Amino acid sequence: MRDAGYSPLREYGAIGDGRTLALVSSKGSIDWLCLPDLDSPSVFGAILDTQSGGSFSLAPEPPFTVERAYLPETNALQTIFKTEVGVVRVTDAMLLPGSGLVPSRELARRVEGLSGRVPMRWRVEPRFMYGSRRPELSRRGETPVARSGKDALAVSSWDAGVPVLDETSISASYVACAGDDALLALSAAHEEPLVFPSRTEVESRLMSTIAFWRGWSAGRTYEGPWRDAVIRSALVLKLLIHSPSGAIAAAGTASLPEEIGGDRNWDYRFCWVRDSALTLHALMRLGCPQEGESFFWWLLHASQLTHPRLRVLYRLNGSDRAPESTLPLSGYQGSRPVRIGNAAVGQEQLDIYGDLMQTAWLYASSGGDLDSDTGRRLAEMADLICELWRRPDCGIWEVRSEPLHFTHSKIMCWVALDGALRLAERDLIPRAHATKWQREAEAIRAFVDERCWSEEAGCYVRSAGSTELDSSLLLGALMDYPSERDPHLNATITALRRELGSGPLLNRYSGEDGLGGTEGAFLCCSFWLADALARADRIDEATELMEQLIGLANDVGLYSEEVDHQSGEFLGNMPQGLVHLALINAAVSIGMKQR
Amino acid sequence: MSIWGAIAGGFVGTLVLTTALSAASGFGLTRMDLPFLLGTIVSSDRGRAKALGYAMHFATGLLFGMVYLGIFAAIGESGWALGALFGLVHGLFAGTALVTVVLPAIHPRMGTPFSAAPDRPLLEAPGFLMLNYGRRTPLVTIVAHIAYGTIVGGFISLAS
Repeated sequence: MRDAGYSPLREYGAIGDGRTLALVSSKGSIDWLCLPDLDSPSVFGAILDTQSGGSFSLAPEPPFTVERAYLPETNALQTIFKTEVGVVRVTDAMLLPGSGLVPSRELARRVEGLSGRVPMRWRVEPRFMYGSRRPELSRRGETPVARSGKDALAVSSWDAGVPVLDETSISASYVACAGDDALLALSAAHEEPLVFPSRTEVESRLMSTIAFWRGWSAGRTYEGPWRDAVIRSALVLKLLIHSPSGAIAAAGTASLPEEIGGDRNWDYRFCWVRDSALTLHALMRLGCPQEGESFFWWLLHASQLTHPRLRVLYRLNGSDRAPESTLPLSGYQGSRPVRIGNAAVGQEQLDIYGDLMQTAWLYASSGGDLDSDTGRRLAEMADLICELWRRPDCGIWEVRSEPLHFTHSKIMCWVALDGALRLAERDLIPRAHATKWQREAEAIRAFVDERCWSEEAGCYVRSAGSTELDSSLLLGALMDYPSERDPHLNATITALRRELGSGPLLNRYSGEDGLGGTEGAFLCCSFWLADALARADRIDEATELMEQLIGLANDVGLYSEEVDHQSGEFLGNMPQGLVHLALINAAVSIGMKQR
Repeated sequence: MSIWGAIAGGFVGTLVLTTALSAASGFGLTRMDLPFLLGTIVSSDRGRAKALGYAMHFATGLLFGMVYLGIFAAIGESGWALGALFGLVHGLFAGTALVTVVLPAIHPRMGTPFSAAPDRPLLEAPGFLMLNYGRRTPLVTIVAHIAYGTIVGGFISLAS
């Protein structure tokens, strides 16, 4: 099964509209698209099953080489196909709605002949409901239409050959001559009639979509080092922001494997509370206050039902239900099971309270308004942490082994109470229980210093009493625990790099996690390391590491969750928000220290 | 049937409806908060939005009381049982059209299924039957509206 028609994950670029996201391979095939939203079932899922997943291919018929790039500072992807008989350029974008009656979701593929005469072929093979439903194909006038249940797709084409329908696909061939300009548009409808656009409308929306992305990028205030990578990361985050609600998905895909052929395949199309503080920090640092405010409101609203307890993750629509199940798909290069939903939703993870309190602090510090009701809720959460912090939990990495007293979880409980005290000092939350919060914060610090510091290893360890290491301890440094002047910070950074590192790469942890198999190096950990090095005033090391990490992105600047130690191949879901968040925060931290 | 019965019924009915929804929210049954949703149409300040939302909700409650009165007058019959039936229809209408479709369309701070990258809503859309606000939201909303209808129907009948 390995490599049986699967493109390497490194070869995918992402396009999106703030509601859903498509992955386009360097071979011109759209192998992932969920409709109508990012967490809806896929209609193109060939990335998880080349046979039955469905795809939208568009490429020259003769052999070709490829050059790709995003149109500068946009989320429109350009692929130049070079063949022996000529050159064509394809521009792919998911269109943003303008005025008037527009399709609820729309994807455009513009094909320009640059030289010669290039035989082209395109084929749309929709497979609704994760490949489980074959579409009913027919025509509405000249336009081919695919339908299944509540969903329908119209495939409009202009100067791109005469579409032919067979039992399962819509396809056409034509010759792209120099100066030719063909256009394909996929219009989707869910629980409503299809809208058929005209060529002029699609071209106009393509132009306005490109203009929107350029305008949005121009509005980012960042002028520090690695600007191109930072702006690309910001554009990726913008793709992962679910515009109907303000939630931010962890990644654009489900079940891409952490090990080829392995079973560590998870659905990341949810919003993790854990990512919240880093997200808000990055958005604020890039001059995105409205996205930050939208996300904070969503977080408060989503967590209202379980208050004062938090769920680990929420659906993009705010629901706290994400039951895990498996799909009868073959999986990326045979990596099974293919999971949707995420069982981590029911775990107890104490660190998330620190993340939410830090988010509130960042929001309030940047001028956001905390009303009395929100303040009361945050104070009640601080009270809850005083009760919970002594319990073992599943930790940041969501281990499926026995709960432990993870050091990172304890540190984040301290961060939560420290944040509550700071908010109380500014009268942003009720201070009636501040004395208790202070007492418990000191107790947590004593616990961490006495039971989570190893004299033998000379650093903080993964959990109380263990000798294992954990990269998540770097996050403590990013949350000012320990402080930049604390010698423990430097010692822990050095130990983590020595024991878990390999070049620029870093493993998550040593020790058990209750799962079989192995995994690649976690890219976000490497960016946290660069950030922590900068905070510890080890600027040269941080800069050198950052240069290496920037070089690990794919040809269009995207990252997946992990990188294989040996091959350098991408592993895990992509594009991964946490990695791009960590890149932004590390670049900003290093830039600040360099000044 | 008198207008005063409708006003009194609308006021008391809305009081019960609002209290029931607030209690359901407090017990973790739903994230539905009608005064908050209405108030944020005019203000992004949470505290002010809730205060304004209560006023708007009561005004809406009185308006619906008049609508009930009009229908009772048209069919020449009223009573708490008929009011409960109207409340059921009212609750279903709220869950499938009024709050689900109309409110996102007119609410400047609420997302819709069509919101895209240029939009930055502060409130998530309720979704079909307001299920985005919790699985029990449809049940809570319909029960609360049946209570409202029962009270309005009863008051209008008593004032006859």
